[in-house]
Amino acid sequence: MAVVSMQAQNAHQQLQAATDWNWLSNWRALGWERFSNTPWPTRKTEDWKYTPLRSLTNTDWQLAAPSGDAQGVDFDDWSRMTLTLVDGQLVDHDALPEGVSVRLLSKADAQTRGDFEQRLSRTLAGERQLFNVFNQAMLTEAVWIEIAPGTVLDKPLHLNQVISSAATERVIPVRVLVDVGDRAEATLVETFSNDASGAVFINPVTELQLAANARLRHYHLLLEEGDVRHLGSVHASLGGYANLDSFHMALGGTLKRKDLVVEHNGSGAELTLNGVYLPRGQEHIDYHTTLEHCVPHCTSSEVFRGIVADRAKAVFNGRIHIHKDAQKTLAELSNKNLLTSHQAEVDTKPELEIYADDVKCAHGATVAQRDDSALFYFLARGIRREEAEVMLNFAFINELLDGLADAPVRDLLQPLLRERFAQGAALEPLA
Amino acid sequence: MLKIDNLAAQVEDKVILRGLNLDVKAGEVHAIMGPNGAGKSTLGHVLAGRAGYEVTGGSADFDGQSLFDLEPEERAQAGLFLAFQYPVEIPGVSNMEFLKASVDAVRASRGQEALSSMDFIKLAREKCQAVDLPQDFLKRGVNEGFSGGEKKRNELLQMMLLEPKLCILDETDSGLDIDALQVVANGVNALRSPDRAMIVVTHYQRLLDYIVPDYVHVLAKGKIVKSGGRELALELEKQGYGWIDEEVA
Amino acid sequence: MSENIDQYLKSEYAAGWTTDVESLTIPPGLNEDVIRLISAKKQEPEWMLEWRLQAFRAWLEMEEPNWAHVKYAKPDFQSLSYYSSPKSMEERPKSLDEVDPELLRTYEKLGIPVHEQEVLAGVAVDMVFDSVSVGTTFREKLKDAGVIFCSISEAIQEYPELVKKYLGSVVPQKDNFYAALNSAVFSDGSFVYIPKGVRCPMELSTYFRINEAKTGQFERTLLIADEGSHVSYLEGCTAPMRDENQLHAAVVELVALDDAEIKYSTVQNWYPGNEEGEGGIFNFVTKRGMAHNRSKISWTQVETGSAVTWKYPSCILKGDDSIGEFYSVALTSNYQQADTGTKMIHLGKNTRSTIIAKGISAKRSENAYRGLVRMNPGAEGARNYTQCDSLLIGDQCGAHTFPYIESKNPTAVIEHEATTSKVSDDQLFLCQQRGIDPEKAVSMIVNGFCKEVFKELPMEFAVEAGKLLEVSLEGAVG
Ligand SMILES: Nc1ncnc2c1ncn2[C@@H]1O[C@H](COP(=O)(O)OP(=O)(O)OP(=O)(O)O)[C@@H](O)[C@H]1O
Ligand SMILES: [Mg+2]
Repeated sequence: MAVVSMQAQNAHQQLQAATDWNWLSNWRALGWERFSNTPWPTRKTEDWKYTPLRSLTNTDWQLAAPSGDAQGVDFDDWSRMTLTLVDGQLVDHDALPEGVSVRLLSKADAQTRGDFEQRLSRTLAGERQLFNVFNQAMLTEAVWIEIAPGTVLDKPLHLNQVISSAATERVIPVRVLVDVGDRAEATLVETFSNDASGAVFINPVTELQLAANARLRHYHLLLEEGDVRHLGSVHASLGGYANLDSFHMALGGTLKRKDLVVEHNGSGAELTLNGVYLPRGQEHIDYHTTLEHCVPHCTSSEVFRGIVADRAKAVFNGRIHIHKDAQKTLAELSNKNLLTSHQAEVDTKPELEIYADDVKCAHGATVAQRDDSALFYFLARGIRREEAEVMLNFAFINELLDGLADAPVRDLLQPLLRERFAQGAALEPLA
Repeated sequence: MLKIDNLAAQVEDKVILRGLNLDVKAGEVHAIMGPNGAGKSTLGHVLAGRAGYEVTGGSADFDGQSLFDLEPEERAQAGLFLAFQYPVEIPGVSNMEFLKASVDAVRASRGQEALSSMDFIKLAREKCQAVDLPQDFLKRGVNEGFSGGEKKRNELLQMMLLEPKLCILDETDSGLDIDALQVVANGVNALRSPDRAMIVVTHYQRLLDYIVPDYVHVLAKGKIVKSGGRELALELEKQGYGWIDEEVA
Repeated sequence: MSENIDQYLKSEYAAGWTTDVESLTIPPGLNEDVIRLISAKKQEPEWMLEWRLQAFRAWLEMEEPNWAHVKYAKPDFQSLSYYSSPKSMEERPKSLDEVDPELLRTYEKLGIPVHEQEVLAGVAVDMVFDSVSVGTTFREKLKDAGVIFCSISEAIQEYPELVKKYLGSVVPQKDNFYAALNSAVFSDGSFVYIPKGVRCPMELSTYFRINEAKTGQFERTLLIADEGSHVSYLEGCTAPMRDENQLHAAVVELVALDDAEIKYSTVQNWYPGNEEGEGGIFNFVTKRGMAHNRSKISWTQVETGSAVTWKYPSCILKGDDSIGEFYSVALTSNYQQADTGTKMIHLGKNTRSTIIAKGISAKRSENAYRGLVRMNPGAEGARNYTQCDSLLIGDQCGAHTFPYIESKNPTAVIEHEATTSKVSDDQLFLCQQRGIDPEKAVSMIVNGFCKEVFKELPMEFAVEAGKLLEVSLEGAVG
């Protein structure tokens, strides 16, 4: 087994020794067993074919200890409820309105322990994905947010995850559980950022559970820069007529790998899953998405776009799996990529796996497809070619940002985008 | 100002322009009419320098300089403006950003200072009003989801901001209702001046009631087959283009 | 799917009979002695035996691949026989006239022109029966044009320099498990050489027939189009109905030198197994072409047979401005499984590739497209367009698309699209209401779905392919 496991095993054992909670200890042990029994990925491991894990194996990772402060992402004047987690520990949270509860694994009393046991056993029970089982083996904290049935939140919840400068050479496993009750409506913004410049390995798992008729707008934004490895996943289960609108963005970092799995478990559920990745320098970003259509009459629409610069590499794998009885499914996926350098690389694999006949499924993928007529339009207006190309690149990504329902999120991301593309181009915001 | 001599051009091995001549002097307005597929838009594209359009013969001089030596953006900076028959949609770039980039580039080439954002926004809003486009069109993506008429007005807006020397309007009147037609005509007329020239491509003589041309040309099968004054447009409206086959065998 | 469609669709595999000839079949088993025996039977030179042994030793070290979307009982390589030849072929007949008429009748019965004076006179045929080539028509006429068309066994004897130079140059011995096995034990297959600047005067084709039970067929085809030449080649395959699985592991290598053009078409109708999924051929094939400057390689395949298919006719676009094409119809029914597609490896500048893949799945079958498009750093201005469409007939089958897209060049453009659709009861009802019988309606819909691919087939075969699909569907839909 991998080099990671040598140090990780110590960390795992320390954790186990420190708890008196039998169930948790067993649950972690199961995670460890699965982790250590999974062969370390190589180029021949289909799920990791294009993403080598070298950058994980050369550091002696220790478990993060609770540490100092760090700011994280601030949405200036957006009225919201913020929960700030520094290095995986909840340090601060705003007052919560009625119908919203937050519980912590680390502070669980007897009653809450019982609830956690049920909740954690329920989802991802048969999970084998390497970094989900790693999360299970190392779990120190879980933040469980419940939105009671019928609750309609008028402010967004902001889960502000920050890596502090104390976290150098630390591994940070975190689990976030969000249950949105029947007919409840909410907006959840998950941001990840870092104060640190040292090597860090963050391993977050988010589980979203939408009951029937629940609606959730969700943002999962990986904004860490520098020597960060971010390997984690988001799992969502949708009940009947539930609606999930989930937006993802990744920029920066040594290695980012996110597995997004959405299960349609109730008829009539709707999913919008969009995302953007912008690796540059030597960065490596990998999104693996899986849409499980388990029941009839559900809809999925997925759009991911990326621009890969310098010597960076992007990997995208978009799987749509239509189970045998999932008739009348509508599922569409589009993945478009631009390479802006001769050293950049993109590997994309949209997949369809279909076992029901009365469905409409389609996917499309493109690489380096510049719209010539748009370029000419710019040139014909006197705009320099390089500038036109930059503006078009920006537009290619911004098209997805423009569609975001929450202006403050757009206002947070657009400057980052401009900064990425700005070299020599007039991309300052106007009007 | 513009002198086109025996111009021949092709797209993907398909010959479209076959020896076209046209002489446009400052202050003049030329109308070009002609059947569908005659090569009118191609002429505009070739002059503006669209990739894929290959010039196989002849020349085009703009203010004494050979157009074909210039990149498309240099032509625009030199004062050549093409209002597209089918304006391109560019989602993700706001109209305002696009306009500013364009105006900045053209001004820079003339040695003028860039406008401050404030001044520019003010100017853009003014021109918006002039072409009767609500101001929120400045915030939307370039032509994104604009109706046919709105796209045409947006072309006009760009023309007014850039103040070019030579304007080529490719069917800027198609798809416009009577009121919009009036707006476009007013805009064009406002720009008419002794040191500016216009080439107006149209299928409808009614536009020429508003924008009165000095010359009317018929472009068919890749060349100018007939030229005349205003009255030629009226004649064409009555007769159609059937006669071309007989005359230009 | 409704009973409705099902009831219109029952038929038998038409090529399922056996030919009653006495055969010499070597005992089952695989080891170096067997390879020596095969080589000896073919009176091969020493270098060929060495080449085989090299491949065999490599094969012993390799593992059977399991990444494809197919499930099957791995063949027991020791229980197969690796060489079977009709007794009458032991002394190689000097001309077609000396060939056992019973053998020729086999091909006639399959509708293949074995006499040069027949209607399809524009087609030269090489007939491969189990492990040997029975005969090749029009050899003299082709020779006049400088074209070499013969069995690979003869080519090894008569054109050793060409064979040495190109055999294994596109598909190396160790390329993959089944290619290695084939390199060790290949028996017969066709050899084609088109000299510089020659446009081959007729269609070339090979018909493969597996007749004997418990044998594998391991054919090897090598086709070289020298500079500026042009050839169109077609292969067809059938086998008797047997209730055990039989292995067919072929290797096809194409070399298109500068400015050459190769069109390679396949109509694959190996026995697919019965309605319960028993029997049928395991079709594990490696096909690949090397395209040099400005050359073009075009693969067209109509795959209706075999129990399990594992096949990716590919192009290495090595030369600048070279072109690769892949047009495919893969139809699966009953318990058939197909994992097929292509690889387009763009190495040269301005290389172009087009992939059009149509998968039709019916009954309990599994049909997967698997493709790779790779733009290497040198592939300036290269382009690929891929369109994969699946048609599902019934709700017990599976249709899958696994395209791998890899780009390392910012000037290369790749476009991939995939869709799925179905033949619905509504469509059928509409056809019925307009007086078209449902069986006809299904085949109309399916034929329309495949039109883009059929138009790539040589004219003579397009009609045949359409009919084949119709027949396969008769037994398939439901
Ligand atoms: N990119 C292209 N590829 C192939 N053919 C083209 C291309 N662009 C133009 N053409 C062909 O060139 C001919 C002239 O087209 P053009 O657009 O210049 O006509 P037009 O006179 O503007 O017609 P209309 O009045 O309909 O606008 C047409 O036959 C058109 O189909
Ligand atoms: Mg036109």
